[in-house]
Amino acid sequence: MAQEPSQAAKYRAVVDKYCVSCHDEIENRGGLSLDDVDFSKVGENAKIFEHVVTKVRGSSMPPVGKARPDPATYQGFASWLESELDQYAAAHPNAGRPAPYRLNRTEYKNAIQDLLGLDIDVRALMAPDSSSYGFDNIADVLGLSPALLEGYLAAADKISALAVGDPTLPKEDALYRVSQRFSQNEHIEGLPLGTRGGLKVEHYFPLDGTYEFDTTFLKNTLSVIRGMEFEHQFEISIDGKRVKLASMGGKDDYGQVLVAPEDLRLAIEERVKVRVPLTAGPHTIIATFPQKTGALEVDQLQPFENINFDPVYFGGIPSVEQVMIKGPFDAKAPSVQTPGRKAIFTCKPANAADEARCADQILARLARKAYRRPVAEADMQVLRTFYKEGRAAKGNFEGGIQMGVRRILSSPDFIFRMEHDPRGAQPGVPFRISDMELASRLSFFLWSSLPDDQLLDLAAKGTLHDDKVLTQQVRRMLADPRSEALSTNFAAQWLRLRNLDAVQPDSYFYPNFDETLRDAFRTETVMFFDSIKREDRSIVDLVSADYTFMNERLARHYGVPGVYGSDFRRVHLDDRARRGLLGQGSILTVTSMANRTSVVKRGQWVLETLLANPPPSPPDNVPALKENAPDSVDKPSLRSRMEQHRADASCSVCHNIMDPIGFSMEVFDGIGTKRAKDESGIAIDASGSLASGQAINGVDELRAAIAAEPRHFVGAFTEKLLTYALGRGLEYYDQPVVRSIVNKSEAANYRFSTVVMEIARSMPFQMKMPAAPQRQLTANK
Amino acid sequence: MVIFKKSLNRRTFLRGAGATIAIPFLTAMVPSLTAQAKTAANRPKRIGFVYVPNGMVMTDKVDLWTPTKVGRDFDLTPTLKYLEPFKDKLTVISNLRGADGSGQHTGAATAWLTDSYPKKTQGVDVEAGISLDQVIANRIGGETVFPSMELAIEDVTNLVGSCDAGFSCSYLNTISWASATNPLPMQVNPRVVFERMFGGTGTAAQRRQRLQENRSILDSVLEETHRLEARVGTQDKGRLSDYLENVREVERRIQQAESRTASAPGSEPASPAGIPEQFADHVALMFDLQHVAYQTDLTRVTTFMMARELSSISYPQLGVRSQHHGISHHQNKPEVMEQKGKIDQYHVMLFSKYIEKLANTPDGDGTLLDHTMMVYGAGMSNGNEHVKLRIPYAVVSGFVAGNRHIKGNADRPVGDLHIDIARHMGVELPRFGRSDGGSVGFV
Repeated sequence: MAQEPSQAAKYRAVVDKYCVSCHDEIENRGGLSLDDVDFSKVGENAKIFEHVVTKVRGSSMPPVGKARPDPATYQGFASWLESELDQYAAAHPNAGRPAPYRLNRTEYKNAIQDLLGLDIDVRALMAPDSSSYGFDNIADVLGLSPALLEGYLAAADKISALAVGDPTLPKEDALYRVSQRFSQNEHIEGLPLGTRGGLKVEHYFPLDGTYEFDTTFLKNTLSVIRGMEFEHQFEISIDGKRVKLASMGGKDDYGQVLVAPEDLRLAIEERVKVRVPLTAGPHTIIATFPQKTGALEVDQLQPFENINFDPVYFGGIPSVEQVMIKGPFDAKAPSVQTPGRKAIFTCKPANAADEARCADQILARLARKAYRRPVAEADMQVLRTFYKEGRAAKGNFEGGIQMGVRRILSSPDFIFRMEHDPRGAQPGVPFRISDMELASRLSFFLWSSLPDDQLLDLAAKGTLHDDKVLTQQVRRMLADPRSEALSTNFAAQWLRLRNLDAVQPDSYFYPNFDETLRDAFRTETVMFFDSIKREDRSIVDLVSADYTFMNERLARHYGVPGVYGSDFRRVHLDDRARRGLLGQGSILTVTSMANRTSVVKRGQWVLETLLANPPPSPPDNVPALKENAPDSVDKPSLRSRMEQHRADASCSVCHNIMDPIGFSMEVFDGIGTKRAKDESGIAIDASGSLASGQAINGVDELRAAIAAEPRHFVGAFTEKLLTYALGRGLEYYDQPVVRSIVNKSEAANYRFSTVVMEIARSMPFQMKMPAAPQRQLTANK
Repeated sequence: MVIFKKSLNRRTFLRGAGATIAIPFLTAMVPSLTAQAKTAANRPKRIGFVYVPNGMVMTDKVDLWTPTKVGRDFDLTPTLKYLEPFKDKLTVISNLRGADGSGQHTGAATAWLTDSYPKKTQGVDVEAGISLDQVIANRIGGETVFPSMELAIEDVTNLVGSCDAGFSCSYLNTISWASATNPLPMQVNPRVVFERMFGGTGTAAQRRQRLQENRSILDSVLEETHRLEARVGTQDKGRLSDYLENVREVERRIQQAESRTASAPGSEPASPAGIPEQFADHVALMFDLQHVAYQTDLTRVTTFMMARELSSISYPQLGVRSQHHGISHHQNKPEVMEQKGKIDQYHVMLFSKYIEKLANTPDGDGTLLDHTMMVYGAGMSNGNEHVKLRIPYAVVSGFVAGNRHIKGNADRPVGDLHIDIARHMGVELPRFGRSDGGSVGFV
């Protein structure tokens, strides 16, 4: 390595002057000691120096308020370190080594969809997956337990029976529930025009037969169904055809309300019950109220959106609580082509003698797709055995196939993604993974699912890693609808959107929050991210785009006029504060407490999510930072209390960085409504200064500051996407790769597809380190 | 609210506010499954662990959990109030040291049953210690279909990224560790638990057949895996042998289950339709499943997280509309402390209903509670400041004399109690976690 002693000496002196008073062996702040690190061997000490680069590039060290070198020296130091580190990494490549992957719940669900055409509720089949580094596809923590394995076995049994349409399938009730806080006062997106409230479900009926639909309605805690004063029509339709119309409420029913509410409820539930003969396969069920009634106006007088938080209220209008689908009664094998059968029975035996050939054809095709590799004769022998067992037990061809499918779904080749080291791999030298393994890495990265035939074919030919082919395939995969997984799976985790399901804003403080709004928040951010991806915009647009997606409900929440109806559409944002992710209700809500905003949570979210420079956790067993913790009840001048707190040096190091970011976002309350005053009625002061010393006032200036440093933001995005793509946490030796991806995408103005493409091309994505020759296996039980 | 197929006369159990859900189908199944067990002269001992997050109200000035009087006839505190009817079976153990200084919430959840410090990592090298429930299950679980069952309430999939900085979420998502490096996932969906317990839905014959088929699938998977083993690298072999171990364990369970189903007449269980919307209903259902598992001797060891550290559950039914974690940082404000106190008391109330059920269930010559030990508690004392000293534990058991408050030595680790508990289950531990073999006197 070409070392420049003069540079090394120069920066050694800078570090001695500005850093070592805290970061020496004695103080060792943050577990970092810089006084004895050899500056002429930056690459050899990459772990330490990559950490230094992160802190300097993020302007988080030396602490805000402490002396810093002049900007040229400060940035020059980071650049010098980066160039030393990159040179060393180029000469000593380390591709890392992810553990064997186990399909997580999302991937399993998608794989079943692609393999068998079935949309399964995976939450009802297996235990939740654990997560690390902010994602739940991290191979390291996707362990296995007997319970999980049993889950996979049980799922294989159920899914194979469902897909084939096994007529002996036991009855199983399906329950569809509407959250009690979901407003049904208006038309709901996807339901027929002219209706109000209700729900729509796409249900997969396993067999031909009669199914029963039991509906219950929202009631108060005294069992009184709401809105019985006036008559309401209620209907159930299947695939657009009405199968039940019943009325409830009005004079007679209302008379019962106070006398015998329980009897009335049971009578009404009996009244709306219906049994319908149906063919197997998916059908669309709608349970709704066909007409608006005069009674609606009673509720419209209510000043709040969330009408359902009063436990004894029984006025208003009725809402659907849940629909239970029971059956099938008189079950028969499917008489129609269901998606499951279509995906499986690509070969129909002409006669009994033809069955074995057909079975081979079907199972070989499915196994190749499920195992994501060519199928060997040994695989087929196993599958044939199970086919024969099933054929004998069930007495027909389909039963045999069902057993074969069940065996495929139980196979470790399906459940795990094992990658094999090639013969002759040199210890410490990265090797190229096989094209088959590359096909899986690509499809699980971009689709969260199995590779399709095209990918497998190219891999079989051995051309997939060819740069031209790879580029074409990545483009094709991004254009494919399955790449929506990047929005619904990657972005939802990266941005903590998933946590939106767990937040419970206090209805006392936020009476306008209800499930409808929660859904709208989620839809907005997913559609927004998806638009960046589909239109191949710059990654920076995630922060600064001047548009978003809204429906009437969300527009009303944001105070944007002229948006009507329940469907989402693209809307230009005149209000600069609202632009980009920082103005979206989803993010603003996820980073708030139940009854107030949290400047700390917001600051932390920005640092961790958008800038990948998270503050360390507060020291252990030190009283929790007061502003971090409480859902406080009295709240005078939060800002001044916090400034007081920051006077404490051990807190200020991080809070001086986090808090100003959070304060700049204070114009939004805990559910993202704009406001001029905070919870205590004090006018919002959104001013502050960033770690770099730059003064900002308000969220738009924060946004501008982030967008003005695109390398920083795009670098953070790349880190997150690379973590997700590799299914492992990034290490110091990955940082040169991240920088190189950012460099390469800079020329293309950081287009979404460029970053994705460069990840797919990158060394850790295409290569892997060989297994260490002698590593102690995990501890015994 | 009705979440079962066979709802019988719904009026009988859906009365009034917050009605509990009856499980007629479960209890209906019990006789057939226990026929054999009933004749046994000695009923086996069971043990269950119930964890609640975010500590208790246990500040220097206000302590709503710890009794003031030590020894016999101690005073029941507000949090423990609902255990009054079982006071003669109740032992409160206080003052022991948890894993202080190891991740704010991570150390709490991890050490409660392991007495070990969690290693700060997000990667494959998560490490704490084997948990007490697993040590006991390893010793007494072999005779049952499930050596242990691990259950929880909050679906952690919605909480990705909400963990202590620098620690894998695995540490917060479970309190049960099969080994120092193998955290066990907890099941939140009653339907999945139910179907696992009873081998799925369908008639007894169907379930029996399913078990046989699963066995032959596992046999063939074992063979396949051995072939695979030859082809993978050394590091990955660790994973693979973990996998094989799991396959063998599942095979063993199937054998156990087969021998039972063979003697069970043809009742057709109807499984719960999913996760109840209300917290209390979900908790009650998970307790009911444990109750049936004890009754039918499907397992003798259960672990249940009533909520997860950093819990985002709120309790509007108590007038507590903010999330539990936020409330636990009450900053010593009386009105917020009161809310945290309400939550803690409510959890104990739900627990006491389960105890009541155990006390009312005949088992051999006595009741289920006579042969059961239930251990309840949290991983922190003062949640406001993440204090991992004075860890709160309470034990209700029919086979250990209660009405006691044992105050431990503040310098001693919780492992001392773990060793005492294990001894009651017939398991001698020379040392456990950080304990070198001490005792807190819970004998």
